[in-house]
Amino acid sequence: MPTIRLNLLNCIWAIMMKDGLCEFRTRYAVSALFMFALISLASISMSIGAASLPADLTAALLWVLLFFCAMAGLSRVFVQEEESGTIIALQIYGSGQAVLFGKLLFNILMLLSLTMLIIPLFIIFLNVDIYHWPIFIVVLILGDIGIAAASTITAAVVAKTQGKNALFTVLTFPILLPQFLSSISATAKILMNVKPDISDILFMAVYNVVLMIASSIVFDYLWYD
Amino acid sequence: MYRDISVKLVDVSKSIGTRVLFTGINLVVNAGQCLAITGPNGSGKSTLLKIIAGLNQPTTGTIQIISNNKQFDAEERRACLGLISPEIILYADLTGRENILFFTRLRKIRCNEHQIEGYCQKVGLSIDKDQLVRTYSTGMRQRLKFALMLAMQPLLWLLDEPSSNLDADGKRLIAQMISNGLEQNAAIIIATNEPWEAEHADYKIELA
Repeated sequence: MPTIRLNLLNCIWAIMMKDGLCEFRTRYAVSALFMFALISLASISMSIGAASLPADLTAALLWVLLFFCAMAGLSRVFVQEEESGTIIALQIYGSGQAVLFGKLLFNILMLLSLTMLIIPLFIIFLNVDIYHWPIFIVVLILGDIGIAAASTITAAVVAKTQGKNALFTVLTFPILLPQFLSSISATAKILMNVKPDISDILFMAVYNVVLMIASSIVFDYLWYD
Repeated sequence: MYRDISVKLVDVSKSIGTRVLFTGINLVVNAGQCLAITGPNGSGKSTLLKIIAGLNQPTTGTIQIISNNKQFDAEERRACLGLISPEIILYADLTGRENILFFTRLRKIRCNEHQIEGYCQKVGLSIDKDQLVRTYSTGMRQRLKFALMLAMQPLLWLLDEPSSNLDADGKRLIAQMISNGLEQNAAIIIATNEPWEAEHADYKIELA
């Protein structure tokens, strides 16, 4: 029987599409994350009433919200495979790198989609004016990629342990802290109508690349014990 | 294709904590041969299969998979084997067809609809291949694993209790598939307590 050999990108794509299809059919994560974001923003909005928050506090709120959405949903990518028992089939038939980057891509797209839903709510509920939209979008994309990358690799670590989600948050936070602070700082400047330094943006991009390279190196050891 | 594949275990042992599962396993399985591993529950049959698959590490000893005088590395080893085990769970939120499509893609093998239909037909899942796996009975899930095995065309078959949950018709089907696999020069290792499964074997080892 003739077979055609496919490359690594096809495997990455297959894993991302599989996760997307399962998520679409079950909507485990999306519904929970969206409700979490909606309730959090509505609660803050009702608490502060007509008062406006300082820009740095508003920026921190946005990223804390995105961070906790990631904690609630993105960790599932590996834990769910472990809990449902499908992880052995993935280990036998998939390559570690394809699994890592397929799941990373799924998490990035998931978080970006969620961000697109959260930002309008954020603007409406907290009565925020966004200046420098193109830079704001770049900061959101880089910040989301950082959160997704840190979440994906720590989810892989946690899936091999019994601690599950509690350990996930503890592990992710220190890995993410430098990226997190840069995102908050850049967002706060944008909300104050000040363009963020290019060094902030560059730091975020480089940190993401370093995080992904480090994840790629570590992952095979995790994946195959 | 590596048609002259052989599996060689040299002085393999496995302990979990202070409990010794097995020691001093030495064996060779060549292409077209079948080995049956038998033994009581807890004797380490499934663990030995997982060690051969590279999912577990032996406490001592080595596992070599050799073809054309070349020893496979860990990735090549995984790429040449198919594992059927109660511990292998397929995606409940995908259909049977989608599961086959997904796992063959991971193996970098492109499978078309016609081929998938053929594999499902061979294991008696033709009608149900577009149903979600969560609606399958345990026997149908086991048949789907065999359809996946056919799609993968592995050179080394690792079968852990292959007829579990299957009806009489399913057992006949599996017996036929094992015979066909041996004719096509696959090396097959079966962990079983079923005497009829062990009948396929050229030789047997019994774990205490």
